[in-house]
Amino acid sequence: MTDRRRIFLLLAPALMVIGGLFLTGLGLTLLRSFRYMPALGLTDPDLAAYVAVLTRPDFLASLGFSLWIAAASTLIAAMLALASALLLRQSFPGRAVISFLVQLNLTIPHIVGAIGVLYLVSQSGVFARLARAAGMIAAPSDFPILTNDPDGIGIILLYVWKELPFITLILLSSLQTLGEDHEAVARSLGASRWQAVAHVLLPMISPALLSASALVFAFSFGAYEVPLILGANAPKALAVLAWQAQTEPDLVARPEAMAMAVITALIGLGLLLATLRSLRHRGLHAR
Amino acid sequence: MTTLGLAGLCKTYQGADHRALAGLDLTVESGTLTALLGPSGCGKTTAMKLVAGLLRPDAGDVLLDGRSVLALPPERRGVAMVFQNPLLFPHLTVAGNLGFGLRMRGLSPREIAARVEPMLERVRLDGLGPRRPVDLSGGQQQRAALARALILQPKVLLLDEPLSNLDPGLRDEMRCLIRGLQRETGITTLIVTHDQAEAVAIADRIALMLDGRLAQSGAPEDLYRRPATAEVAQFFGGVNFLPGRVAGGQFHATFGRLALAEAGLDREATVTIRPEAIRLGEGPNTLTGRVQEIAFLGTQSRVTLDLMATTLEALVAPDVAESLTVGQEIAVNLPAKALWVLPQP
Amino acid sequence: MRGRGSRGLAGLALGLFMVLPVLPLVIWSFAHGWRFPSLWPEDVSLDGWAIALSDRAGVLQSFGLTALIAAATTLIALLIGLPAGRALGLYRFRGKGLVALLLVAPAVLPGIAVVFGLHGIFLRLGLTGTIAGVILAHLVPVLPYVTLVLAAVFSRFDPAFEDQARSLGATPLQCLTRVTLPAIWPGLLTAALFAFLVSWSQYLLTLAIGGGRVQTLPLLLFSSASAGRNDVTAAIALLYILPGLLVLIITARQITGRGAALTGGIGS
Repeated sequence: MTDRRRIFLLLAPALMVIGGLFLTGLGLTLLRSFRYMPALGLTDPDLAAYVAVLTRPDFLASLGFSLWIAAASTLIAAMLALASALLLRQSFPGRAVISFLVQLNLTIPHIVGAIGVLYLVSQSGVFARLARAAGMIAAPSDFPILTNDPDGIGIILLYVWKELPFITLILLSSLQTLGEDHEAVARSLGASRWQAVAHVLLPMISPALLSASALVFAFSFGAYEVPLILGANAPKALAVLAWQAQTEPDLVARPEAMAMAVITALIGLGLLLATLRSLRHRGLHAR
Repeated sequence: MTTLGLAGLCKTYQGADHRALAGLDLTVESGTLTALLGPSGCGKTTAMKLVAGLLRPDAGDVLLDGRSVLALPPERRGVAMVFQNPLLFPHLTVAGNLGFGLRMRGLSPREIAARVEPMLERVRLDGLGPRRPVDLSGGQQQRAALARALILQPKVLLLDEPLSNLDPGLRDEMRCLIRGLQRETGITTLIVTHDQAEAVAIADRIALMLDGRLAQSGAPEDLYRRPATAEVAQFFGGVNFLPGRVAGGQFHATFGRLALAEAGLDREATVTIRPEAIRLGEGPNTLTGRVQEIAFLGTQSRVTLDLMATTLEALVAPDVAESLTVGQEIAVNLPAKALWVLPQP
Repeated sequence: MRGRGSRGLAGLALGLFMVLPVLPLVIWSFAHGWRFPSLWPEDVSLDGWAIALSDRAGVLQSFGLTALIAAATTLIALLIGLPAGRALGLYRFRGKGLVALLLVAPAVLPGIAVVFGLHGIFLRLGLTGTIAGVILAHLVPVLPYVTLVLAAVFSRFDPAFEDQARSLGATPLQCLTRVTLPAIWPGLLTAALFAFLVSWSQYLLTLAIGGGRVQTLPLLLFSSASAGRNDVTAAIALLYILPGLLVLIITARQITGRGAALTGGIGS
């Protein structure tokens, strides 16, 4: 058997699954977003759904809302993760326990975290009770609205909590791969501890930080269950809005749901590709 | 010009069961190139990192011109280290790498460029300044790493096996470059290597480390011809150890008597002789041996001899070996000048 | 050493942040009424747990169903991902970048874009509302993780071991079971545990394809949260965390290196 044939046979099952499920699913979403639904007598593809979606005020509000959530969550999580990774690579009492907790968090499903955040920071949550005990508020309604709020504070809090360990572990793995020798060289060439971090360590782990952040952005931008639990009625996160449009009884509204899904995916994909490109442009790879 | 002193350095790594350094004393004279030689795992790199300030010793001191530098962080010691791997920073250009230390000192870009250009030329990397390290060959990367340290004009330069990752051809070239640059600049240099031939070829002085301690230091010839212990002799490829007794300027062994060049005190002693110093044929100090084995090694042949139950290895020219047959009795000549009585029995 | 104390303090803050949302769940699961503004439940009871674990609530059945789906998905994903990982890890070939991108894409692209189309296909195939349909759908996000992990594993595997085994008289099957699988075993285990967790956490795909008829734990948890019994919801949520905790303990010894490398693999 030639190598080519062998490689093809090895890849065939996986490509069939991805092709048959993922690409076909994506393709069907795309077709329907162009209002091509022969079963409903729609046989002439057009862009009407996109036009309709892009002029819907609630969609534009959702788009802005999802961008805000993703950007804020990613930025805060990335900064905290950088600090956490730099902390966890050093030794201090209790490091093993902290590392375990960081990894544990990675295994907790988003929906559990979301319910936890709800019980934590809602107006009758644990923090509100603590504020009341400290005499800062008198009634639940005095506590700031942090869940199901139009600013998505609860959602952002959940994403920061959930994605911080993800980025941290990627950074730790990258730090481990790099070893400590480059920093040692920098020190012996006259760099102070902080100069070595700023001029050597950060530039060297930035590809890992960037790609992890892009993944976090794409995820928090398009995810469904977290805003479902922690989000406000309006604006809704994109995925929630699209799902709602999809489940409307009026079948003709479906292409709009599909168009929303496509736009969501395109923005996520565009960001990932841009990140990939910028990494390649700098001649560095994610690992 | 700076003299580097290591005084009683001890270091045990966390979780390790033996000491990496067990009281290392060493002086590197100002302006010399000294090789720190030893088998892998004997603590050479640990010693380097202690000097560079990248590790802290458990005990002992590091002295520059007699003053302790232990309290100083690495960046203020004036000691630059070149690692076994080039470890060029991948996010910087070659010129950026060379200028790194100067930038840390706060020099202006113009000043840095003015010093980087000639340095690039000096290590034959002219024109490669704007390239990325990945675009350089292994030899070029190692030269860039050397230049990156030299450009700082450090008081002491530490080189950790800088040749070990290079092909044999490039190794000679790099060795000449290091030797030349060291002579030019006069920077006190300590080079770590596990290869005794390399140490002999490059260094003014050799410090041999065994088991975390200094075994012997001196000119290359001293270690080669006048080893302080059997271990030192073994490290330099000596294989013939003859047990016996020194008495009246002669060496008495089970197989006979040998004249010595220098008469010492009468005592039990071990005498070594290098295989290439043994001659087959008549002369003073001649004994009779039986040929046990002949092995062709290319430029030389190894003849294993039996001297009344003492085994001796000799290296001779192949044509000499060809005339021998196994089992033959021949005259073996051990020149008095080549016999070295080990200081300790 | 200087700074260790402040590092310990920062570590403490990080650890506290990590458990913060889990703490109210633990307290709630033992609370029999916990009205504002009490800092602690008025009554501690096991009611929440009792209801969650009762037959009537269907939590245990749902737990079993979710585990079944995750296990089946994992098994299929391993069977498909193993050869694909081998191809990506061991060989260089034209179009490799594209294949890798294609195999990774489902894990990083927002699920909402696939879910609608997938629903359409499965509707036509009669797979909606079935467990088989949900398992197939879960392959979409799970397979990329498995393939990536195994590609990384195979890139560190020397196929010369297989040639050596064959030249010593091993059949291809013996070669696989006696040489290859033992060599990649730790990586295979990590991939399997990881796949299980990814399937275990799925919400949107199960909701869309299962159409409410396949009640996995996250769906049940969501309806419970909407129903407003905080104690029961908290107990279900904690049950839902359990397998992840177990997986972590199993892999704890190797996770700092390998586990992080896993998550790192997604980015490369």
